[in-house]
Amino acid sequence: MTQCIKTAIIGGGKISEQHLGSLRAIDGVEVVAICDLSPVLARFTAERFALPHWFTDYREMLSQTGPDVVHVLTPPATHDRIVRDCLAAGCHVIVEKPVALCHAGFRDLWQEADSHGLQLVENHNYRFNEPVRLLEEAVSGGRIGRVEEVEVRIALDIRGGGRYADENLPHPSHKLPAGIIHEFITHLAYLLLHFLPDGYEADIDSIAAHWRNHGGGNLFTYDDLDATVLAGTTHGRLRFSCRQWPDNFTLQVRGSDGIATAELFYPFLQVTPRRPVGQHLTPLVNALGGAWSQVGSGFGGIWSKIRNRGAYEGLSRFLELTYAALQSGQEPPVGFRQMDATSRLVDRLLAEENRI
Amino acid sequence: MKLLVTGAGGFLGRHVVKAAVQRGHQVRALLRPAAKSVPLGWQEHPQVEMVRADLRSRRGLDELLTGVDGVVHLAAAKAGDLYEQLGGTVLATENLLDAMLLGKVDRLVAISSFSVYEYLQRHAWSRLDESSPLARDPFCRDEYCQTKLVQEQLILDQATNHDWRCLVLRPGVIYGRDNLWTARLGMQAGEQWWLRTGAFAPLPLSYVENCAEAVILAAEHEGPKRRLVLNVVDNETPSQRAYGNELRRHMHPRPRVIPIPWTLMRLLARLAWLTNRIFFKGTAKVPGLLVPSRLHARCKPLRYTNRPIKAALGWQPRYTWQEGVERSLAAGDTATLPADQEKTAP
Repeated sequence: MTQCIKTAIIGGGKISEQHLGSLRAIDGVEVVAICDLSPVLARFTAERFALPHWFTDYREMLSQTGPDVVHVLTPPATHDRIVRDCLAAGCHVIVEKPVALCHAGFRDLWQEADSHGLQLVENHNYRFNEPVRLLEEAVSGGRIGRVEEVEVRIALDIRGGGRYADENLPHPSHKLPAGIIHEFITHLAYLLLHFLPDGYEADIDSIAAHWRNHGGGNLFTYDDLDATVLAGTTHGRLRFSCRQWPDNFTLQVRGSDGIATAELFYPFLQVTPRRPVGQHLTPLVNALGGAWSQVGSGFGGIWSKIRNRGAYEGLSRFLELTYAALQSGQEPPVGFRQMDATSRLVDRLLAEENRI
Repeated sequence: MKLLVTGAGGFLGRHVVKAAVQRGHQVRALLRPAAKSVPLGWQEHPQVEMVRADLRSRRGLDELLTGVDGVVHLAAAKAGDLYEQLGGTVLATENLLDAMLLGKVDRLVAISSFSVYEYLQRHAWSRLDESSPLARDPFCRDEYCQTKLVQEQLILDQATNHDWRCLVLRPGVIYGRDNLWTARLGMQAGEQWWLRTGAFAPLPLSYVENCAEAVILAAEHEGPKRRLVLNVVDNETPSQRAYGNELRRHMHPRPRVIPIPWTLMRLLARLAWLTNRIFFKGTAKVPGLLVPSRLHARCKPLRYTNRPIKAALGWQPRYTWQEGVERSLAAGDTATLPADQEKTAP
């Protein structure tokens, strides 16, 4: 591969804005083209991000611009065909989650990439958000002892308006096996696996998942998920709800010596460890520490807003590391192990409702 | 004529349907698939045929245009993020234009907006008309400006390439029932407080019934020029203070106004811009009123004219701005279509 990596984008929807914005900041990457079925959207995006070319046919784009890497940002149901064509054209592929609609689909695509000697990388951006990285440090540094329980929770008022609640033109994700929750399930799964003591190699003994449509109606297949996972002695819980306030994306790890909580929408990390100040003073010290974290997160939230850094901030770090790996020929930060285990867990969660 | 009216269930659309019926046209009124209510008087009206489709999808659009002589395209997204507005405004228009091409419909009236013009680079109190430059750096402006510019260009390119009869209307501020507030006054802080940015800037108002008549006259236009872009502004352009006071007069309790002089507001926006540039390399996100190009687009004092549209269409705004406010607040919806509507002139 040459020093400067040529990248192309397929799909000009909302997520492309995040990818293109992140790619701007990575040295040695040149985005050569964007492709979208809509000519006007493709041209608009090319002008907005000063890209030299735009296309409405991705095969034409692949042959004319010869990119080294392609970002596939189209709806999940279209991934299989597009990813295969990109791999056949000799391109590494970075693909939005979920890479495939089922684990078998992922394994097929992986084999295809492997047979071409190319990388296939699924976007696990939230793993690279600052609070999650700090949480990782706290856990690996032993501040909360042995991990006993991991909970990943997303509360998002997607029924209250916006693209997912649009009844005029239902979002394509409503047709996915888990309905709209399929948009989020990959994030829940890889974050859980990442913090289990055995990580992606964890042997998951049992799973119970309750998929519900509490809000009713025909638009949503499900709007609520409550799943529990048991891996050895470690308990895991995955929650998705659109009936809670405030919106939050929380990752909580409970250990033998404390609790660590990371929040991604209003970025903060709070660690409540066992303190060497005695049984009676520990609650006071932890309360003071917690208050300090909360105040910091309040100001940090405003600061992040001013800096225009939203919940997608991890995407920049993820892409930076992925491109560094592609340039050096190293294993990308999200490799087979992570994608395989994530996809397998999602399959098992879905099987609980016989959706596959 | 048989007209397809997109966005027919919207604020302007309902008045346009009524104006079209009053002028003796047949109307195919396009409502969104999930629209819960049907405007009063449309059911069973012999001149109104209701159809449902979402222009963001190409599915079913070809049938919409069967037997149609012309299209009045009002559908657009005014809220949401950039991609929601691109979908509702730009992709919807792209799909509609493709369907028109297939259906061999070559007459179009489209609603654009004053937001497409450049404001920052022009002098205060200069006259804004159809020849005024368009936004030079749209990516610094809001999503509405960006998407309206793309939409307008798309329409004009298509009309030129296929020699369609096409009128693009750029209304100023369309006001009427439930839409009396305008961002050109400033900002509402709850129901009790108004932050009024400036006092003397004329407001390019167009009362919704006046505007609807202009739209139908544009659809009927048979002049020698097949493509025209026209601003839509009523005869009077009251100042921010006059219009704001008139609104307050009708409100109980009356909101309190915090006036911020235009010069001070400009200075604040300039300071915010400099801070952003120096400390954040222009990447910080600041409120729209503190972004100079957006502030100027909303509140800069300018002068307006409606001579070109009057000359081209013979349009005469029927209601004064005070009458417009009165009608907006009166009991009964002025957009309601009486079952037995008398035709005026075809």
